[in-house]
Amino acid sequence: MRITVKLIGGLAHRFGAGEREQEVPPGTTAGDLLAALGISDPRTVITTRNGWGIAPEEEVAEGDRILVSPPFSGG
Amino acid sequence: MHGWTGQMLRVDLTTRTWRRETFTEEWALTWIGGRGFAVKILYDELRPGIDPLGPDNKLVVAVGPISGISAPNTGKTVVAAKSPITGGYGDGNLGTRVTEKLRKAGFDALVVEGRAESPTLLYIDDTTVEFLPADEIWGKGTYETNDWIYARYGKGAGVLNIGQAGENLVRYAVIRSMEGRAGGRPGMGAVMGSKLLKAIVVKGSQPIPQAFPAEMKTLGRDDMRTVHALDQKAAWSKQGTTGVLPWCNEVAALPVNNFRQTHHPEAWRVDGERLAAATVAVYGCPNCTMQCGLAMLDTERRESELDYENMGLLGPNLGLFDITQVATLNYMCDDYGIDTISGGGVLGFYADAVERGAAPGDIRFGDFEGFRRVLTAIAQRDGEIGNTLAEGTLRAARTFGHNSEEYAMQCKGLEVSAYNCKFIPGMALAFGVSPIGAHHKESWIISYEIQQTPRESYGRDKAQKVVDLQRIRGGMFEAIVSCRFPWVEIGWGLEHYPEYFNTITGRDWELEDFWPSADRIYALIKLFWLREYPDTDRKADYPPHAWFDPTNADTEGPIAGKILEYARYDELLQHYYDIRGYDHRGIPTRETLERLGLAAEARVAEEYAPLS
Repeated sequence: MRITVKLIGGLAHRFGAGEREQEVPPGTTAGDLLAALGISDPRTVITTRNGWGIAPEEEVAEGDRILVSPPFSGG
Repeated sequence: MHGWTGQMLRVDLTTRTWRRETFTEEWALTWIGGRGFAVKILYDELRPGIDPLGPDNKLVVAVGPISGISAPNTGKTVVAAKSPITGGYGDGNLGTRVTEKLRKAGFDALVVEGRAESPTLLYIDDTTVEFLPADEIWGKGTYETNDWIYARYGKGAGVLNIGQAGENLVRYAVIRSMEGRAGGRPGMGAVMGSKLLKAIVVKGSQPIPQAFPAEMKTLGRDDMRTVHALDQKAAWSKQGTTGVLPWCNEVAALPVNNFRQTHHPEAWRVDGERLAAATVAVYGCPNCTMQCGLAMLDTERRESELDYENMGLLGPNLGLFDITQVATLNYMCDDYGIDTISGGGVLGFYADAVERGAAPGDIRFGDFEGFRRVLTAIAQRDGEIGNTLAEGTLRAARTFGHNSEEYAMQCKGLEVSAYNCKFIPGMALAFGVSPIGAHHKESWIISYEIQQTPRESYGRDKAQKVVDLQRIRGGMFEAIVSCRFPWVEIGWGLEHYPEYFNTITGRDWELEDFWPSADRIYALIKLFWLREYPDTDRKADYPPHAWFDPTNADTEGPIAGKILEYARYDELLQHYYDIRGYDHRGIPTRETLERLGLAAEARVAEEYAPLS
């Protein structure tokens, strides 16, 4: 199934900017996606799916848009 | 006494006199510094009902025990007074060399009273205070004023100054320093202007009293290197705070067109990646290890230093998605000395009111040239619209009428920061109970709320988190007076702050030892408001009506059809009051006040309004 992944903030400078569409097998979790990006500890980032928070153990679905952000506190 | 100079400087602009005053270690430990010192001084000394733009108001400039020492991001100073825009307690912090210089001149706080006869520059050093003419820079913007001062006192001097907005008593004028730094959103610049005080210049050369100076020097140096390395690894300062903009757009929290919409397909044009690519210079506060002042060239080829708040509120909130145009409006705000958050909020409100037929004019969202003209009119208080909007969103709404107050995006009179909370109950609560009016600095719960809680929940856990964050951010950081960014942005642990505090003061505090002072500060701020507004009730802690209006719900996107609910928000607010020990009006109970050591302050408050 195809999903879209976007990294923002400092993560874009560390792991590559821009949106990327990618094919993932059924059963892929948010944590799996992060691990594939090289982010071993999900607690160090904020992850959303289609604008809502997603836990590391939740599975992604066809057409999902995943945004991965560094933690931030506001200006 | 270690950690504090034990002295404050009191200056009377009317009589052109000054004196040193001492305070005890017990007083310092009770109020810590910064915001704590400020609210205690203002509560004790200001008579309720005074005109915040009159000579009876007092401006407090206060540092904290770890301010100005060589440790990560300790260059901040608090500025406070009765707020011209809210009528309650107001403060803000800014990075400035005044932080270190004031301490080295022998003071932890400066209290400015009265009103000068003519434009004045206040000069302070180790041994003297001078009242100098400032006619030559009165009427000038903050950049030219800063250059004028640097030419005379050197770039190493501590400087606070105001632009035309402060001089003209724009109620959301800020105090500026070091070219790009600004603080005091609730009109602290207007308070300076009302006193004809154009600038404060501080030089100091004495050592800051520390219990273990050699240990602190080593600890601070090592930690500054470590934090800087952490930032480099995280690449946070590549975009600074603007990295959050695409996240807000994604989760439907971005203010677009006076907060009417929560996201926009063109938002990427004004995000952190675009700013990083356009950055021509980077600036920071003293002792900063992760500089976030990213400057780019505006439409006039001037350097303009952007962050998320001004990007969001002067960009999408005005329907503008050309980053150089946003930079221009930001430069104008900075030069005039207008708060960029309130400035963007007021301009957005005006465009909305015009579009709905509630206000005169022809401005529309996306009208860059129109916003330039209106911004200049505000700074100069030029004409009916300039004058009306210089009063802030709430007063302008009451002037315009036609129910425009319903989409005036403010709490307690202060404009909302750049987080659109149509369907983010915890962050809406954080704005509602912020003690100075809507401000993100007190309790930025939004990322926790989106990531770790059911977004739609109004549960007690969210109220508890707001309290927890207020203790850390609005309590501890605003009292020790240090930048909070190393903590959340790159994970620098909170345990380092009691370590700095103990090394400087010789105490043995744990992190939890700061919480009573933090709660005491919040409670006293509440009493300050109560004396000014004796008939206050819990509605004062409500966020803007627009976030509860079903007709204002998004029609597409992540939160389509969703909006806050009054009844459930009220339950969340009650959780907050219960945790805090406040009554149904949101006022600390007598029992709470006594527990926090505020029995004497409570008796004073009871002269104006009953306590529960």
